[in-house]
Amino acid sequence: MSLNNSIVNVQDLRKYYGKVRAVDGLSFTVEKGEIFGMLGPNGAGKTTTVEVLVGIRKRDSGTVFVLGMDPERQPMAVKDRIGVQLQTASMYPRLTVSEVVRLFCSFYSRHLEPAEIISQVGLQNKAGTQIKNLSGGQVQRLAIALAMVNDGDLVFLDEPTTGLDPQARRNLWDVVFSLKKSGKTIFLTTHYMDEAERLCDRVAVIDHGKIIALGSPHDLIRDHFLERALEFIQPALAGDERLSGLSGVTRVRGNGERVTLYTTDVPRTIASLMELGEVVGAPIKDMVIRQATLEDVFLKLTGRRIRE
Amino acid sequence: MNTLFQLVMANFKEMVRDRMALFWFLAFPVLFILLFGTIFSENNDTASFSIGLVQEEPGLLGDGLAQALGSIPSLKIERGTSRQQELRALERGDRSLVIVLPAGLSRLLEEGSSAEIPIYYDETRQSSHVLLPVIGRVLDEVERRMTNSPRLLDPRPEPVHAVRLRQIDYLLPGVLAMAIMQLGLFGSLRLAYLREQKILKRLGATPLPRGMLLGGEVIVRLLMALIQTTTIVVIGALVFRVTVLGSWFIVVGLVLMGAATFVSLGYMLVSFARSEESGHGIIQLVQFPMMFISGIFFPVNMMPGFLRPVMKAMPLTYLADALRQVMTGTPPQYSLATDVTVLGAWLIVTFALGIRFFQWE
Repeated sequence: MSLNNSIVNVQDLRKYYGKVRAVDGLSFTVEKGEIFGMLGPNGAGKTTTVEVLVGIRKRDSGTVFVLGMDPERQPMAVKDRIGVQLQTASMYPRLTVSEVVRLFCSFYSRHLEPAEIISQVGLQNKAGTQIKNLSGGQVQRLAIALAMVNDGDLVFLDEPTTGLDPQARRNLWDVVFSLKKSGKTIFLTTHYMDEAERLCDRVAVIDHGKIIALGSPHDLIRDHFLERALEFIQPALAGDERLSGLSGVTRVRGNGERVTLYTTDVPRTIASLMELGEVVGAPIKDMVIRQATLEDVFLKLTGRRIRE
Repeated sequence: MNTLFQLVMANFKEMVRDRMALFWFLAFPVLFILLFGTIFSENNDTASFSIGLVQEEPGLLGDGLAQALGSIPSLKIERGTSRQQELRALERGDRSLVIVLPAGLSRLLEEGSSAEIPIYYDETRQSSHVLLPVIGRVLDEVERRMTNSPRLLDPRPEPVHAVRLRQIDYLLPGVLAMAIMQLGLFGSLRLAYLREQKILKRLGATPLPRGMLLGGEVIVRLLMALIQTTTIVVIGALVFRVTVLGSWFIVVGLVLMGAATFVSLGYMLVSFARSEESGHGIIQLVQFPMMFISGIFFPVNMMPGFLRPVMKAMPLTYLADALRQVMTGTPPQYSLATDVTVLGAWLIVTFALGIRFFQWE
């Protein structure tokens, strides 16, 4: 039985594929009603973690409790009560949306009304359309519909918006929010920073199978950055050591000709940067001031950008 | 139970909506039968023998002979005007045989002496050797009536079991066996497709047991095999008047067993493939030779000797042999028990290997 009331409780989870340490000692909990995000680059171990939690992959070591059950010991009981959307998994191509939903309903000990599920993800106009004729966004909505058929308390979404256009992504976010509103706990993986920031109550930043930061997006940014980011383009100044001496600047990052200054005092940094620009004879172009994001957190912790 | 029913329905819809699959599993075997059935029946079935009869002087004998010969089924009597003309027809191959009632025949008969009746035939044609004794018997009969001599041995033909074996009777069960094989082998590629598209993985994340998932797939193949059987038998009956002689019960049993064997063989082959495409290659490699070496299209004794051991190993050989002997009463190569045993062995071995080697991911 679970040690506490957490919906998911993972302690020191490990899964190696030969020499590759896909998951290398993860520990975390997911609490009832939250959207828990796992953020990391491709190959960080997100999908492996999801597969272990939903009972379709055996772990090497560690303890895992999902809804108070070990998915390896009671796979059927766990599967009956969770909803799952798997990365890039497609569906029977020649069945219609409502046929697939009805088929999935028959797999579970209890299920919602197929028509209700279909309209909840906004596919009511496509109910009679064969899967092969759906757009990418519609297929993802169907995948989420299939994760809802058994009205499970916990829903896993593995990279639900990968490969979608911005409009389709935003529409899908609305579906995720409505799931949360209906009281479900959601475990979501993504490699999109903005998605994690917008959707998640808490985020585990994961790299090489390890959690390198865990907390609410807001807290993560605040803990790692008191400062704001000031970005500009000026090749002449890229790599210039004088940048770190400017007033208020705590750290400097250069990425090609784009330079990012992290500063605790934006006005004074801008003033001294302008001065420096004049001294060098190179005007500052395309300056952007922004709050630090999870991307900055990832960059700070790993030295790499997440999409690299 | 509802789950299995829903799965079977879903798989069935998937198959029926796949026009390509429908063509290969249903239309192709039917076209095959229509095409080859027509070709073979033109060569053999409608064959009748054309007999030229030349009468060089008027007389009742000619009419009597023509009548007696004409009453024999599949003999067609052509009454020629001259010997030369009919001989030319024989040389062209338009006549199987030419009978000449020479001039002066009636005079000889009236005198009571024997008369020669020349019968011309083509020595190289096998049919001649069948026809000559027939003609001889007819002449004997005519002579007996003319001389009013009593018949001591009177043949009394009694038809018992009119099995006329035609090419189509040999071909049709073989094509059915071929269709079942292709359904089983190519149909199992679907499992590779489901794996490649991660549909198997997605289903694995539901409480659906794997056994039921596979069961749903296999049941649809078996249903499809029965639909193939019905289609082929109905076409055979309507177009070529092929009737199923044996028990329907046994035919259905053989069809189901054959389908199960080839589905199992297909799954085993697919389990050695990494992708749907490589699976397709492996299955082609197996099904193509099997189709020709298993005696579906021609009997084993036409096969070169070195191929016979291969043929004896192929499960299709036994399914076709079993279906032929039960459906159309074709003389079997093996006993039905042997056919069923070998098929069963293939079923068990491929099933075990499939289970052992199939990778779900």
